[in-house]
Order: sequence, then structure tokens, then C-alpha cells
Amino acid sequence: MNVAPDHVFTPIRELGEKIRTGKTSPVDLAETFLDRLERLGPRYNSVVTVTKERALEQARKAEREIERGDYRGPLHGVPYGAKDLLATSGGIPTTWGAAPYRNQTFDQDATVVRKLEEAGAVLAAKLAMIELAGGGGYRQPNASFTGPPRNPWNPDYWTGGSSSGSGAAVAGGFVPFAIGSETWGSILSPANNCGVAGLRPTYGRVSRHGAMALCWTLDKLGPLCLTADDCGLVLEAIAGPDPRDPSTTDRIFTYYADAPTKGFKLAVLTGVTNDVDEEVLANFEKSLKILEKVATIEKIELPDLPYEAITRTILNAESASAFEELIESGRTSELTAPEDHYGLYARTVVLAKDYLKALRLRAVMAKAADEAMSGYDAVVAPARRSPATPVDEEFRRTSPGTAKDLMGAVGNGAGLPSVAVPNGFTGGGLPTGIQFMGRAYSENAILAVARAYQSMTDWHKRHPPGL
Amino acid sequence: MSTEESDILFKLVAEKYGDRLTPEELEEVKKGVERITEAAEALRKVKTDNWDEPFTVFKPYTKEE
Repeated sequence: MNVAPDHVFTPIRELGEKIRTGKTSPVDLAETFLDRLERLGPRYNSVVTVTKERALEQARKAEREIERGDYRGPLHGVPYGAKDLLATSGGIPTTWGAAPYRNQTFDQDATVVRKLEEAGAVLAAKLAMIELAGGGGYRQPNASFTGPPRNPWNPDYWTGGSSSGSGAAVAGGFVPFAIGSETWGSILSPANNCGVAGLRPTYGRVSRHGAMALCWTLDKLGPLCLTADDCGLVLEAIAGPDPRDPSTTDRIFTYYADAPTKGFKLAVLTGVTNDVDEEVLANFEKSLKILEKVATIEKIELPDLPYEAITRTILNAESASAFEELIESGRTSELTAPEDHYGLYARTVVLAKDYLKALRLRAVMAKAADEAMSGYDAVVAPARRSPATPVDEEFRRTSPGTAKDLMGAVGNGAGLPSVAVPNGFTGGGLPTGIQFMGRAYSENAILAVARAYQSMTDWHKRHPPGL
Repeated sequence: MSTEESDILFKLVAEKYGDRLTPEELEEVKKGVERITEAAEALRKVKTDNWDEPFTVFKPYTKEE
């Protein structure tokens, strides 16, 4: 039996309360979302595998546990989807979005999948993604063996990437939340394009054990949800030290949902809105006006450093090593996007001394960013420079490394957390987003600002027509 | 300097992988190598001190008994 339609597009916090109080059951919820994943997922190329058997088994277990009073918390019995670069046991494929790996399986779960199981969440699907998480240097949406990911707000437009299915599945109400990954932009981009909340945690906050490596010192895993509050709930469940991932921090993350909702100090980086799309800029400026009700906003500057070159060089060098076997095999020719057939080859000649120089300058960059952001709760910027682009067009006319992305270069290069939430629509009905980036380990601060913004707006309560 | 270096590095890629790539793809790889050397040039222009370490900490390993 299916639950009422209003359980779809219900934030985790409310859904969890309904489960806890017996107003809905994990099995009913699992059946509802499995149906939507099977029926609607293919329309948007957002699903690789519906994990029906595992989902129903986990949901029945959750139901039994809750009935006997063993309630684990707000994720107990809540279905979710995982980007298909997270290893899953039991014969469920983990494809990395790439044709050469379409039959790949693992005999263990990624730490994030295991932690979510411990929290009682129900794995309902492995979600579509850009092949190799964009590691080949793709320039177009048609870069997944499952087809170009389509945006629930308008299927003729792209979802963003590389966590494409994670963004679309939350926006379309196929799952209440999803896990994505970001090396440079891969959580914030789909959050922006699909009009959902996306949290890129501090590097090392969440174990990457069992996740495909694109770039060891840049990869982060984080949630995509309906609200910033939900992102906090999921982060608390997946964060924490893991002996199988030496990058994880020993700092424990406890989510403070009751943090103050006003009196914030925000900053805007000089030049961060240069060359931003007109409608994105207009919505950003309106957002700043709203934020002025709860915050002071100042302009700040970063010292002159080659930020994009630092982060790009690290990404180039590490990805060439991470995919060495694929490059040497020549099987890049099996990838979907033509530019991914050759994109990795140039990276094989990054000189060691230049990679090391980038790592040395990363320390300079991290200190400069931390100093500039000291005293502020968050740096505010458009989540992306433009809204979603048509699904059949290149989303960048130039190759990676030629466009300026100061927030992305500094934020990812220095491992800083950022949360994106929707802040309006274009005239064509596509979402735009705003991001709040904080100092390392300041997820509670940026989530508090994002929650305050969402308490004054209703963009997150709007959902794609017909879904 | 940069162009010369870029040409040499591109020849290395072309020598090693050229037989799998079309002339058009090789041209794109050449542009990719040029962007990589441009980024490297930008990094090299920034002065660092001898003691400015890479922001990666190596920890000696021993299996816990």
C-alpha cells in the first residue's frame, strides 16, 4: 500500500517524526519511493540501479525495530539514494557512471553506506553520475553511460554534475535524500541546477573509504536534501573518523539544529560576481537584501594567488595517477563523451615539481583563506555562475581550467565546507542557488545561516510541476 | 619558454599514446598540455620559502598489534 502523496517532498525531519510516531511506516515509504524510482527515474536518466530487494529488507528491519521501541534517530526508515561511485555489497553494481565499469561489483559497502545503514536509513537506489565523476574533463551533459541526466524542472535542461542523479532524484521526489561527491563543484552544481540543498563538508569530515577516487586530496562526500536542516541531519550520521580513510578527522561532528538564527556576520569576496549570468546575479542581490535582516554583510578580498592553477594542478596530477590503469589500457575510448576519450592523456605529463609547488601553495592558500574568513560565519556567493544549460549543448565552451571559479578553487583546494540552497528561478523556470562557505570544520555555522535564509524564503518548498 | 616546454611535453604524450588518438583528438590533447603548462607557469611565478612544505603530512605506518 502506498503512502499519501504528501510524504513525497517531505523533509527528513518531518518524515522521521512521522515514522517515529507511527503515522507512516518504513515499508510504506520504501514502496512509495521504489515505485517513483522505477517509474520516473528512467525519464530523467537519474537512476542506475534500483536496489529494491535490499531496500525492502532494510525497511522491514527498521519497521520491526521501531515497533519494539528501538528507534535510532531521524534517518531510521528513511529511503535514500547513493551516487554510483559508492561501493555496495550483495552483487549491486557500482559503475562509476562509466561504460568500462558497468558490471563492476564489490564485496563490501563504502563506509558512508555502512554508517547510513547503522542510522537505519534505507538504500533505495544507486544514482546516475557523470562518468568518472567528471575526471575525463567532460564538456557536455551526455557523459554518462546511462544517458544525459535530465532536470526535473525541465527535462530539456541539464541537472548539473557530476552528482547528477543525486540532484535530480531529490528534486524529483524519487528519494528524500541522496549522497553525492565533490572534487570541484560536483555537489554544488546539481544542487544549484536542481533547486535542492547540497552540503560539501570539510575535507576529511566524511570517510571516502569505498568511494571511487578521482583526486585523493580533493574528494569529499556529502548530502543533497530538500533543506539545509536535512543536510545537517545526514552529515551527523555519515561524519566521523574511519581507520580505513587516513584523511578523516578525529573531530566529532554534532549537528546543532538550534543554533542562533540571526546576528550573523557574512562576507562577499570581491569579484565573485564578475561574469555571472544576469538572472543569477539579480537573484543573488535579492538574497543579500533578505540576509541583511539577520546579518551584516561586508566585502572582503583574498591576496593575489593563482588559486585556480593550484587546485587544477592538484586535480590534474592526482587524477592521472588515480586512473593510471584506465589510461594505460586505452579503455577511455569506451567512455560516452568524446572529450573523455582523450581528456586524461594530457594530465600524464604534469611535472612532479609543479604538483609539489601546488601542494606548497595550497598551504599558503589555506592560511590566506582562513585569515580572510576569520570573524565571519560564512562567505556568500552564487552557488553557480549560471542556471542549468540545455541538455544537448556543451555547458562550457572551453575546456576545464580556463574559466574563473574563485569560490570553487579556494573552497575545494583548501577543503572548506559550503552549503548551497535554492534562491529563486530564472524567467524560464529554472532554479538558481546561493552558497554559504565557511572556515574548515564550521559546518554548524554555515548550516545555521542557510537555515535562517530558508526560514525567510520558500524556494525550497517549490517542486517541479507534474511530479 | 612555456611554448617550448609545452611542445616537448606534448611530444611525450603523442609518442606514448598517439597511436590510439585521431589527429583531431591529438590537437585537443595539445591544447590540454598547453593549459597544464600555463597553470604551472602561474605556480612557478609565486615565490615560496625553502621551509614552505607541501600541505600533505606523511605519517610513518606500523600495523597496530
